Amino acid sequence: MDIVIASVGFGLVTASVLAIASVAFTMQFGITDVLNLSFGGVMIASAFIAYVVNNAGVNIWIGVLVAGVAGAIISYLINRFVLTPFKRRNTSPIGMVIVTLALGLILENLVLAVAGPNNVSYAMNSGPTLAVGAFELTALQIGMIALSLIIAGAIHALLRLTRLGKAMRATSCNAGLARASGIRTERVIASTWLITGALCGISGAAFAMNSGSFGSSSAELFLVVIIASVFVGGVGQPYGAMLGALLLGLVTEVSAAFITPDYKEVIAFIILLGVMALRPQGLIARATV
Amino acid sequence: MHDDRRRPAGALRSQWRTALGQDGESEPRSHRSRLVRGIVGLASILALTAAAWGATGVAAASHVAKGSPLVIADLAPFTGVDAVLGPGFLAGCYTATNAINNDGGVMGHPLQCKQFDTRGDPADAVPAARQMFASTPNLVLVIGPTSDEAAAVVPIINANHMVVFSGTGQSEFDKSPFKYFFRLTPPDAYSAYAMVATAHFRFHWNRIAFAFGNDIGSQAFVQPAEQAVKAFHMKLTTNQVLNLSDSTFRTEADAVAASHPQVVLTEALGPADATFLSELKQLNKGKMIPVIGTSATIDPSWYSAVAKAVGASTLQSNYYADALGITTTGPSYAVFKHNLIAIRKKITWAPWTGYLDHPQTFHFYDAVTMSVLAMIEAHSTKASVYRSYIKPIANGVPGAVTVTSFAQGLKALNAGKKIHYVGPGGATHFNKYNNSQVDFQIDKYGPNGKVVVVGSLPASEVSAAEK
Repeated sequence: MDIVIASVGFGLVTASVLAIASVAFTMQFGITDVLNLSFGGVMIASAFIAYVVNNAGVNIWIGVLVAGVAGAIISYLINRFVLTPFKRRNTSPIGMVIVTLALGLILENLVLAVAGPNNVSYAMNSGPTLAVGAFELTALQIGMIALSLIIAGAIHALLRLTRLGKAMRATSCNAGLARASGIRTERVIASTWLITGALCGISGAAFAMNSGSFGSSSAELFLVVIIASVFVGGVGQPYGAMLGALLLGLVTEVSAAFITPDYKEVIAFIILLGVMALRPQGLIARATV
Repeated sequence: MHDDRRRPAGALRSQWRTALGQDGESEPRSHRSRLVRGIVGLASILALTAAAWGATGVAAASHVAKGSPLVIADLAPFTGVDAVLGPGFLAGCYTATNAINNDGGVMGHPLQCKQFDTRGDPADAVPAARQMFASTPNLVLVIGPTSDEAAAVVPIINANHMVVFSGTGQSEFDKSPFKYFFRLTPPDAYSAYAMVATAHFRFHWNRIAFAFGNDIGSQAFVQPAEQAVKAFHMKLTTNQVLNLSDSTFRTEADAVAASHPQVVLTEALGPADATFLSELKQLNKGKMIPVIGTSATIDPSWYSAVAKAVGASTLQSNYYADALGITTTGPSYAVFKHNLIAIRKKITWAPWTGYLDHPQTFHFYDAVTMSVLAMIEAHSTKASVYRSYIKPIANGVPGAVTVTSFAQGLKALNAGKKIHYVGPGGATHFNKYNNSQVDFQIDKYGPNGKVVVVGSLPASEVSAAEK
């Protein structure tokens, strides 16, 4: 029983990292209409930039912010110089997916070329351990859960309380109608790439902190789990992505306590298949974003 | 814009005939098309010939121009979860070829090391091997295939009549039918026995846990290690499989900590061991459980990642590994060290000092050196010719002069003597399947990740696990 309680704690940490990434991914898809498979590449590139900063003696939490800035810049540049020209040529949605897949591979190999094949770790202190029975979390892990909650609150405020959030929701619902209503959708999309890129960078650094050690290809499988949690929650639904992340984070870790951990991703995808079969629109399916 | 409707029918017919090559005016075009067909045919023949040469790289190697470089291919993982393996072999290749090239190369040809990335996956390794043969007509030796891809690529290499020194430990190569296959690394089963024997004989630990990666190479240790645990009447507390693609292993680490082992046997390359061991330490109330790693964990990249994750001093005092005995003193080591220092700028992926005591680097240094000495003795760079000279040089024959470097070997061969090469990787004893088995040594990490030998494990103790 102890290991089950402990695994709930591990699941919360995994879910918090997954939630940041999933919210960014689903907003990106919902508003810009691009299923961005270079997301993992941006995550890991940002994580490495945070590593460079951290290696220079800077606190890792500042490194997380730097990763956010790096993710925002990389994502903005990807949209501005690669995706927008392809969109202007009316590239099909599947064509855009292939373009982002290629970008992801390019980014991953660029990181490999620059950083080398070795795995690296941040210099960070896990801090004291908070233990309630078998439920144990370090100060660092509690910090990561708190970061995830802060980001969830900020995204909620952005979407519900700001003009930009309103414009994002309008663009997500019907870009043509939004444009006809005077919303500068291109600006909205550019802002979306900046904001979701920042979240992508932050999630990359959080992912690397959670892993303890990471390399250029570390985010490959994680991207698949991100996509799974987005689809479980409902595509284009930030709150759905949070719910999907929580569900997958907890189920994968708790299931690992009962059966061999080698199958925990399999469990995640069985859940995905179940949700797709019973509720194809996802767990939350109201208006997008 | 042309309007053919206004032209007379005869003019139109003439135009069509010209286009179709049916009148006298079209003869030059007909000549051209024959010329084009001839060029295409010639190109096809050349392409087929090149492909045939590519498929039998040895034949091509014997046709390279005098003085042009010959290539030693490092066919191993350079990316993917086992990406630390290929660079370690490459360091050995660079070091050996530096020594050889400084002494004039092989029969007037300088040597080059070239890497071919298998990504640690048979699906990527097979095209990499085929591309290696197709693109490298001057290939003379292959080093590197690990347990991840050896089963897929060794048959291809053997079919191309090319000598391969492999880093695999898989048991299917214990009695291999491949004539061109050589291995200086121990079989995985034997290494697994050694790990359990170390826990049993040296430390008297009885509760043992396994945490191996889910890749082919790491899982090869599990079954023989289980057999050894039974043979020594020890208790296997838990056997955790670490999915190398995962980013965290807390549940696995918690299961290991909860089973209260005295030691954990592990090989999970990439970032996995660093993540797993740091989580295990955290979940074991901040105390690290002693670890016995495979020889693949004696690696500067592995040390660097794990030391950062768990703390260098913690790792140094709780880590042991088994490896084939190597020499870090004496004349053979001095030559190795001198040449490693000379090529240190080529080692850009890790601190070069980590290769001063890296067993795999030593063994592939020896593999290259003894293969080139065999080429010189055979007066041929054709693998089908020099292959049979390797074993006598490695094992020694009556009356052979013992040499500890390429320069010494070259001098003795030029003087018409038989040689017995003993490099920094220690003495070699190839059996009839070209497997070399010698005693193990027990290593640990010292300050700055330097490998320190803390004991030895005779073959008799290792073999006891087989019973």
